[in-house]
Amino acid sequence: MITRRHATALLGAPFIIPARAFAQGPAATPRPGGELVFGLDGAAVASFILDPHDSGFAPHNRVFRSIYDSLVVLKPDQSVGPWLATSWEIAPDRKSYTFKLRTDVTFHDGTKFDAEAVKVNLDRVARRTGRPLTAQIDIGPYEGTDVLAPDTVRVRLSEPFTPLLRSLSKTTLGIISPAALAKHGDAIAQNPIGSGPFRFVSLVQGVEIKLERNPDYRWAPQGAAHQGPAHLERLTFKNVPEESTRVAAVQSRQVHAADGIPPQNVVSLKSNPSFRVLEKELLNLNYTLYLNSRKTPWDDEEIRQAFRLSLDLDAAVRVIYLGTTPRAWAPLSPSIFASAEKQLAGSWKPDLERAKQILDAKGWKPGARGIREKDGKRLTVSFADTQGNREKRLDVIQFIRRQIARSGFDLSIDSQPNATYRQKLTDGDFDLSGASQFAPDPDVLSRLHLPDGRTPASVAKTDDAEISQWLRDGQREGDVEKREELYVNVQRKLVEKVLAIPVYVLLYTIATTDQVQGLTIDTHGFPEFHGAWLKG
Amino acid sequence: MGERLASLDDIAPDLPARRIATRWRWSRRPRLLVPSWLRPGIALPLAVMAAMLACAIVPDWIAPFDPTDMGDAILSPPDAVHWFGTDHFGRDVLSLMIYGARQSLLMGACAVFVGGLVGGLIGLAAGYAGRRADTVLMRLLDIWMSVPDILLAIIIAAALGASLTNTILAVGLVTVPRYARVMRAQVLTVRSRNFIEAARASGCSEASIVLRHVLPHTLSPMLVMATLGVGSSILIGAALSFIGLGVIDDRPDWGFLLSQGRNYLTVAWWFASLPGLAITALVISVNMLGDALRDRFDPRMRT
Amino acid sequence: MRFVLHRLAAAALVVFGTVTLIFAALYLLPGDPAVLVAGENATEESIARIRELLGTDRPFWAQYADYLAGLAQGDLGMSFATQEPVTVRLWAQFPSTIALTLFASVVAMVAGVLLGIVAAVNRGGWIDHAIQSVMLFFTSMPSFWLGILLILLFSVTLQWLPAIGSGSFAQLILPMACLGLVASGRLMRMVRNSVLDVLDEQFVVTARAKGMPHRLVLFRHVLRNALIPVVTLLGILVGELLSGAVVVETLFARQGIGRLLVDAVGVKDIPVIQGAVLLASISFVLINLLVDLSYSVIDPRVRAEG
Repeated sequence: MITRRHATALLGAPFIIPARAFAQGPAATPRPGGELVFGLDGAAVASFILDPHDSGFAPHNRVFRSIYDSLVVLKPDQSVGPWLATSWEIAPDRKSYTFKLRTDVTFHDGTKFDAEAVKVNLDRVARRTGRPLTAQIDIGPYEGTDVLAPDTVRVRLSEPFTPLLRSLSKTTLGIISPAALAKHGDAIAQNPIGSGPFRFVSLVQGVEIKLERNPDYRWAPQGAAHQGPAHLERLTFKNVPEESTRVAAVQSRQVHAADGIPPQNVVSLKSNPSFRVLEKELLNLNYTLYLNSRKTPWDDEEIRQAFRLSLDLDAAVRVIYLGTTPRAWAPLSPSIFASAEKQLAGSWKPDLERAKQILDAKGWKPGARGIREKDGKRLTVSFADTQGNREKRLDVIQFIRRQIARSGFDLSIDSQPNATYRQKLTDGDFDLSGASQFAPDPDVLSRLHLPDGRTPASVAKTDDAEISQWLRDGQREGDVEKREELYVNVQRKLVEKVLAIPVYVLLYTIATTDQVQGLTIDTHGFPEFHGAWLKG
Repeated sequence: MGERLASLDDIAPDLPARRIATRWRWSRRPRLLVPSWLRPGIALPLAVMAAMLACAIVPDWIAPFDPTDMGDAILSPPDAVHWFGTDHFGRDVLSLMIYGARQSLLMGACAVFVGGLVGGLIGLAAGYAGRRADTVLMRLLDIWMSVPDILLAIIIAAALGASLTNTILAVGLVTVPRYARVMRAQVLTVRSRNFIEAARASGCSEASIVLRHVLPHTLSPMLVMATLGVGSSILIGAALSFIGLGVIDDRPDWGFLLSQGRNYLTVAWWFASLPGLAITALVISVNMLGDALRDRFDPRMRT
Repeated sequence: MRFVLHRLAAAALVVFGTVTLIFAALYLLPGDPAVLVAGENATEESIARIRELLGTDRPFWAQYADYLAGLAQGDLGMSFATQEPVTVRLWAQFPSTIALTLFASVVAMVAGVLLGIVAAVNRGGWIDHAIQSVMLFFTSMPSFWLGILLILLFSVTLQWLPAIGSGSFAQLILPMACLGLVASGRLMRMVRNSVLDVLDEQFVVTARAKGMPHRLVLFRHVLRNALIPVVTLLGILVGELLSGAVVVETLFARQGIGRLLVDAVGVKDIPVIQGAVLLASISFVLINLLVDLSYSVIDPRVRAEG
């Protein structure tokens, strides 16, 4: 592939002025057309699931954010604004929401978006037949939807559920065309039909997804760069799970942009004027380590304390992420409503001596090779893993392994294929594991720490009556301040009792060539291509 | 993806022996009378291997730092203190490599042992037993061989989980057919020799015939294969690491280091390149030694 | 003719055996695919229901018989992960791997044969040593390291070639070079030794004594005889290339059976694993069959005896 650089070199630099020189001018007018090729960090996925209701996997969500729209949009101040729904009223008992909808929206297959479509979508997510969908947890105690008029719909809940509005801004409750659902059923995952700025063209499993502009698009959310159709003619996602290849692809300009840029390359790309790096915090349940509190000796809070006191997470995060990512103190990432990051910052310090004291007091004596033993059992920590070194997580584990070895813990990494890993989590056959989950609302804590309704393969086995009560109250609480207090309490207790050990805050990074303009990252932390265009 | 077989006899046993011409050896210019083991073709790989073995056996004496020591200098280039630079944890790359020699050599040697043992037994059975058993076993070997190396290793390693034992098992099992074939070919050749008949006539038991007469003759080609096999086993192991099925350890093998370091090639070339060079050096040495052994034992076996 | 049929039958047997072996291996090894398909919120009952749906709760013989029955009709089952027919997934990925393997073999053959001849003709000289050293280096490298170095040099630094993808020929160049170079080393050695063998033979010496020009001798007599063993090595080479393709496909983000297999193993998508192995096995066996047959065509002596 001959690039402009070659042309410059071949024809003589003095006569051809590289486009770069013009890049520094005032904000240029968007140029319509062109194809943006995006190198996606999709991990080694066997298949793409483009069914928004059935995928908790962030890379897929980043793709279908452009295919499906949501009823509401999450604004930078963490409140929601209108999108497909223009306004809404919440009933005094807070068990029903009445939405007024836009009337000018059509799906990619030409059918109209109306109240019926909303009903079909929400009913589907809540369905009790067939395989339970991942998004089910997002609509909480959903009871049903009533179509009051073509542009008015009432969503009923059996109990107040405050996270609902924010959930509706998520990609996971994106609106699918009912006609397509009727036609494809669950196979919508490979035949996505929404109302978004881009419509689906084709995909090759695990390799690439091709989208094209939706020319009828006129319903961008409040706060979007412009209201009309997208500038780009085509948008292609290429799955490049290999980190170094993905970076090389951007540097060689074979793709216009790529995400998941590793820390060591962020620095060099930022200092290179031909490239730009976009960074934004992903609204996320931070990557957190969980000790299996159902298994001995981790059911003993003091042993958990001893474990944590042996960790120096500041050092770990600094060394591994080279200063490009901050350390997390609270389970919720800093920008999420009710994040306790400020309250919990600096709430504990590593203290190796104290850790050793606790272990001594509990009867764990140093044995062979420094590993503690008690009653013939060694203090082993089996870390269950399946995703490999995604976001350098295994590097973190390797780093802390050394740290906790000084107290006498023996950590081993147990890597398994996904199916076996989930089985181990369900059976409780692990000592330590880690997880993160993108979400805009603090209720995401319930997915891990509220025993009823939690998936059996949950990493956290928390079962604390006080925490459970706070979480349930938080789901129902309508007052903003009271709600915030509840979740701060939850996070504080989780951290104090070492039921969760937050590690780092994820900054989602996209590196682009200087040709790419107008590419932004939304409040959730997902890339927005609607306003993007290619220069030159 | 290294050497796979040793002789034309192996690939096409039906070929008339005539095709394998005897060769005389060119000596290098100038013609010096040098003991064969001192020739550069042998001395160099031997030295390399000796150094690596020393690293594997007594790393504490050789390594300048503790390989698990995470210092403050992260991804720093080679300098007077850290001859090979440091990795992303601040560990000394030279020390990592010295300690890693044990894992790498162990994996290579054990995989070869597993493959050689199982393959040898199968080959012995095939060569020694009757025609029917032979055909069945050969078909089995064909099946075994028809699945490409790494695919089979991946299936086994992925299903069993990542650990040193499992990796050795996976790599070892993958290489079984080549040892079986060599063993079988040798056994067939030896079996028809006169002295075997004589031994049998003089009343030796079958078992003692196998042990004392047949097996010794099979040792040299097996040894050659084994030496070459160490190299290819290490390469397959490195490929498994790359795919993500490698063994995570405090003292990782070179394949794993290469696999980790590849993401840092643009910012810290020493992290990946030096373990990569080490693997290459080991495989080259092992190949050269294997060749030398083959020359010594049976020049006819050259491919 | 009987020879051909005999070989075909043997080949079919081998493929059948491979399929059975892999089937048994996957059945025995740990990990329940139903857990994955059922999804994150699955309860015990829904997992059990999925198991029923997939058919993985039945005894080994029932699953095996079903699979064979489907195989006979050309149905390789449905992928556990995407609910697409396995044949569709294989078909999408196969051409890319074939292209890669084919071109890599061409690279290996061209490089191996050319360099082998040059080395043999310059026996003992510095060219010979240089070629042998460089080739030794290439054969002993881990292929993905070579791949990364190639990407760094040709893609990032020189910006001559694309690093990823499988659509155009340009995207094929680096991967095929990577695979082909590593394989060419062995081929070079074999060709070199083979040519040397023939150079020493009586009829060559005679021809030269009679005054035939060097080059003519080379082309007429030496090459034809020397290249026969190369054909044999081809079969094994392809097997190795298929194997090396796994790593190369992952590194260069290409489509292909290798990558499909790695992904499928990760999620224990049994029908896809079996399909991929079946395909690889058939390819390998077919190529070796062709090699065997062409052998008898090239060398009449073998045909007479075979």
